[in-house]
Amino acid sequence: MRTELHHDPLLVVEDLTVSYNRVPAIHHLSFSLGRGHCTGIFGPNGAGKSTLLKSIAGLMRPETGRIMIGSRELPKAAPLIAYLPQRESVDWDFPVTVRGLVEMGRYHHAGLMRAFSKKDDEAVDGALELFGLTELACRQIKELSGGQQQRSFLARAWAQEADLYLLDEPFAGLDRGSSSNLAAALRTLAGRGKLLLVSHHALSEAVDLFDTAILLNGEMVACGPTAETLSPRNLECAYGTAVYSGHHHHDHR
Amino acid sequence: MSIPGLLHSITEPFSYAFMQRALLSCALIGFTNGFLGTFVILRRQALLTDALSHSLLPGLAVAAILVGLSPGGLLLGGLLAALLVALGGQLIARNSRLKDETAVAALYIIAFALGILLLRYARVKVDLVHFLFGNILGVGNGDLLISYGAAVLTFGILVPFQRPVLLTLFDTSVARASGIRTGWIEAGLLALIVLALVASLQAVGVLLSLGLLILPAATAYLMTDSFSRMLWGSAVLGMAGAVAGLLLSFLANIPSGPCIVLVLALFLAVSYLLSPRHGVLVRFFRGRHLHEESLRRWTGHEGHDHDLPGRS
Repeated sequence: MRTELHHDPLLVVEDLTVSYNRVPAIHHLSFSLGRGHCTGIFGPNGAGKSTLLKSIAGLMRPETGRIMIGSRELPKAAPLIAYLPQRESVDWDFPVTVRGLVEMGRYHHAGLMRAFSKKDDEAVDGALELFGLTELACRQIKELSGGQQQRSFLARAWAQEADLYLLDEPFAGLDRGSSSNLAAALRTLAGRGKLLLVSHHALSEAVDLFDTAILLNGEMVACGPTAETLSPRNLECAYGTAVYSGHHHHDHR
Repeated sequence: MSIPGLLHSITEPFSYAFMQRALLSCALIGFTNGFLGTFVILRRQALLTDALSHSLLPGLAVAAILVGLSPGGLLLGGLLAALLVALGGQLIARNSRLKDETAVAALYIIAFALGILLLRYARVKVDLVHFLFGNILGVGNGDLLISYGAAVLTFGILVPFQRPVLLTLFDTSVARASGIRTGWIEAGLLALIVLALVASLQAVGVLLSLGLLILPAATAYLMTDSFSRMLWGSAVLGMAGAVAGLLLSFLANIPSGPCIVLVLALFLAVSYLLSPRHGVLVRFFRGRHLHEESLRRWTGHEGHDHDLPGRS
């Protein structure tokens, strides 16, 4: 199945299969997405949501198929991608301030040794301002609320000038205020022509948060505008049948 | 004590050639190990480094059997033994149910036992206490040269590659996603740490070298929230602690190795208790702004950013 959402796609995934120990976690996925979309990835546990994000980020090697970002394949497309890890995988005690974190986004522009140029500093200032972090710039990253922490990572991606944002369960563990704050930040990014791919496990507010959706259960169930994609019939298909995961069931970590 | 007498006892250590070499050696090793310690602490590898330091022994023993006590041979032997244990641990962890920390611990005990057995066959007598604490007052020009070399290599590699190394330390998967060869960086860091241990063996021994890797960096980690300040602060602390400990040991006529470790321990204790942001006593007496914190938790508002608990 091939789903076209845009005539000039930023992200093209063709026939993508990714396996853990030879057992596929996602099967023959094909889809393409254009700029300016905030796309939710839905599906039951083990449906391959994280696997899809990790393989687009280049952290897992595809078994079949290929991934094109801005008509470039992966090693070359790396600067265009910003992967935001799950909260648990970040060492919040690391000696880095919000500003230091955002500056990391400029490292590949600045190269190995060159001092930050005026343009780099402006990009960092701009990113801090866009996400409302200017006054928190000197805080160590643990001294922020959950929502501010997520926004700091978005600011780093913005400073990097990434086009494709990959977010793994960013809403997990956020309270209501922080959630709506993060949702607003994601809308701002989509409004500025970025493509966001967000794994999400709750279906309740899906239509408010995402304009497009991908529904997985190991295979592609549906892909398109959120309301159509998450129709009762499609959801029955995704959640009603057991996830196909090869010969036996296993953890998707 | 009269003032000239006091002056004399301060300047006296600097007038002996052996003491000058010892001080120089301490300063060099303290600075290099302190710098490297930041990477050990931030990767949470203090115990792995401890294991590696002990697994040097069989390599040293084999080198001593084959070529005697030549610095180059010892360096190569120790380096190979430690890398075998580190890589062997990874290999076993990947291929079996054993976790890597179990595998490395098992291998280093085996290596240490093997080393003690092999030392019997070395043509020269190698003292275990020497292995642990070195002989700082017996440092020769060759040993100094090795320390210079290790320092030049360490700074020559890590200063230019500071940015990719920082990205790897902070978040390996994101660094990998952005195209950094994280495997090479991790292997390179490990090799430099082993090099630091082996290069300082003759002068300060593995235990003291380990102390210089871990104590100053732990101190700096408690003192600052900036990576580069931790990096260079730890180097300066390591150098200052090593030199101060050596001078103290000379003046009080006590063994230098333990004295240096205890000076570094004093630094750590002070920052553990009194660090302006993370000190235990400071946190205790500052008190928690309970009402503000619970307010934030219950209302979940982010609009009051300025009212967050007063940490600054």
